[in-house]
Amino acid sequence: MSTTRKRVYGYLAEFKSASALYKAAEKIRDAGFRKWDCYSPYPIHGLDGAMGLKRSILPWFVFFGGMTGCATAFALAYSTQVVIYPTIVQAKPANIFTVPAFFPVMFELTILFSGFTVLFGLLALIQLPRLNHPLFASKQFHRATDDGFFIAIEARDPKFSPNQTKELLAEIGGANIELVEEED
Amino acid sequence: MAHHHVTSADIAIDGDHLDASKFSKVKTIAMALAAGGTLVSLYLLFFAPEKVRGPFAYSWLFAFYFFLTLSIGGCFWTLLHNVSNSGWGTSVRRTFENLGSTYPWMFLFGLPLLCPDVQQYLYEWMNTHRAAPGAVKEHLHHVDHLLYNKYWYMNLPFWYGRVIFWGVGLSLVIIGLRKLSIAQDTDPTPGTKRLFQARFHSTYTLIIFALTITFTGFDFLMGLDYKWFSTMWGVYLFAGSALNSMAVIILVCAWLRSQGHLKNVTGPEHFHIMGKLLFAFTVFWAYIAFSQYFLIWYANITEETSYFLIRNTGNWNTGMIALVFGHFVIPFVILLQAWLKRNPKTLSIMAVYTLAMHVLDHYLITIPERGISLGNIKPEVFGGIQPSIPGAFWGDILAFVTIGAAFLFFLLRAIGQHSLYPNRDPRILESANLSN
Repeated sequence: MSTTRKRVYGYLAEFKSASALYKAAEKIRDAGFRKWDCYSPYPIHGLDGAMGLKRSILPWFVFFGGMTGCATAFALAYSTQVVIYPTIVQAKPANIFTVPAFFPVMFELTILFSGFTVLFGLLALIQLPRLNHPLFASKQFHRATDDGFFIAIEARDPKFSPNQTKELLAEIGGANIELVEEED
Repeated sequence: MAHHHVTSADIAIDGDHLDASKFSKVKTIAMALAAGGTLVSLYLLFFAPEKVRGPFAYSWLFAFYFFLTLSIGGCFWTLLHNVSNSGWGTSVRRTFENLGSTYPWMFLFGLPLLCPDVQQYLYEWMNTHRAAPGAVKEHLHHVDHLLYNKYWYMNLPFWYGRVIFWGVGLSLVIIGLRKLSIAQDTDPTPGTKRLFQARFHSTYTLIIFALTITFTGFDFLMGLDYKWFSTMWGVYLFAGSALNSMAVIILVCAWLRSQGHLKNVTGPEHFHIMGKLLFAFTVFWAYIAFSQYFLIWYANITEETSYFLIRNTGNWNTGMIALVFGHFVIPFVILLQAWLKRNPKTLSIMAVYTLAMHVLDHYLITIPERGISLGNIKPEVFGGIQPSIPGAFWGDILAFVTIGAAFLFFLLRAIGQHSLYPNRDPRILESANLSN
């Protein structure tokens, strides 16, 4: 007798093609589900609209990340080149008006900080890296990286119900509908 | 997705034609303005007193080159769209071609600049060359060693040869490509043949474009001060050209849509992409403009700094600072919004704004040289070197309105000639159903 407890993750359904996935996504969006996702071997244009995804908050992180980089570089260049140890080259003054000389550094750090914010902000938002995902328990889900188009609706969605959600998935063309359980 | 999937049933089989009578009034007014202005301008360039002719030569050069950049940009977007095998812009490609097709006409307005009577006020180096009693190179050897060293490039036969090539070369390119594109519109069995032809011929002709934008800038503008040089010059002019021709394309497409055209084949997605290009080239312009300034400022070489010495002092400096904020900072922040780029109206406002900044940019490229060069060339007529010549501003406006009206006329004429989008292009449906 197995001693491991299992918890329901949600329903997984397979769809025939990218366009079938797209149309199904629109219907699930209109049904008002929130905790669900599409899985496809390749990006599908416009799927974010079909899923009703809101604009990501990531650009704001990146904007402020870039601003921080710009300010850091200016502070670094200004404090070293003007305040602490002015470097006089070709009799050029060392003051706030020599700011063009700092531009390359400011530009580079803006890019660097923006890049870091993109990478780490994205990883945080999509909760990666992680060791496992409940959907990996499904055998058929392996085809999501090859030729399978899937939609998974999670059990923690307020609209989820064991019978109706399954019926909905079948109704919109889902095949091989499977209740995925994760080990607790 | 707001709009439904576009199928071939939504594409006008004989094309989407503009009703010529609707805008014939605008066209007539533009033509009258251009014709009248040209007559007055020819008088001011060739027959007016010297005190007027000198400053007006600069006005003409400023207006001529400003509108030339817009036409060259039209050629650029056509070539780029073909050569990159793009599908997104097929429904707006005809507008690229129409804008590009104004190039031969706009170049004609440069013809006065080929006359020694006008050149004597603009290009000091030509005066030195023409003053040579015998062999030019030998003469330069004695009077100006810099001109002697630059003789291989800056000599009159080569200059004329080059200028004629810039005029003829790119004209043939854009006329050929537009013909190819238009022939597809009425072909009963349209295939992919012309698509591949256009792609092939756009490869090597892109080189003609690159040479044209770079060296018209060298020959017409950088030559104003033969001592000055900048290797960034061509790229700088290209950045402004690509940016502002995209602004014109956006305006034309938004106007056509407001007139009930391009309905099924363009949408927010197209404006979004064109807005992104507008944004990208705003940044690119700033990048190049700053790089040019930065290298010259850092290296501090006498011959190079003259450009910024003139422009970053006195009242011109106000214009240059306005350029930094108005041409870069403000549009950069505003064009970041995605919703704004998807709305033809708001994007059009930004396009108009960008064009206004382009006017300032080109005004600051050409005009600050006027008071200095004229004072150098003929102090007995124009007085000594001065930052600006009083009253010459009215000539700038006249030249700008004249060539601007002509530009509008030839653009409208091109738009009215053929279908507004390539209705039988193999990729028209791909473009119509664009999603980005």
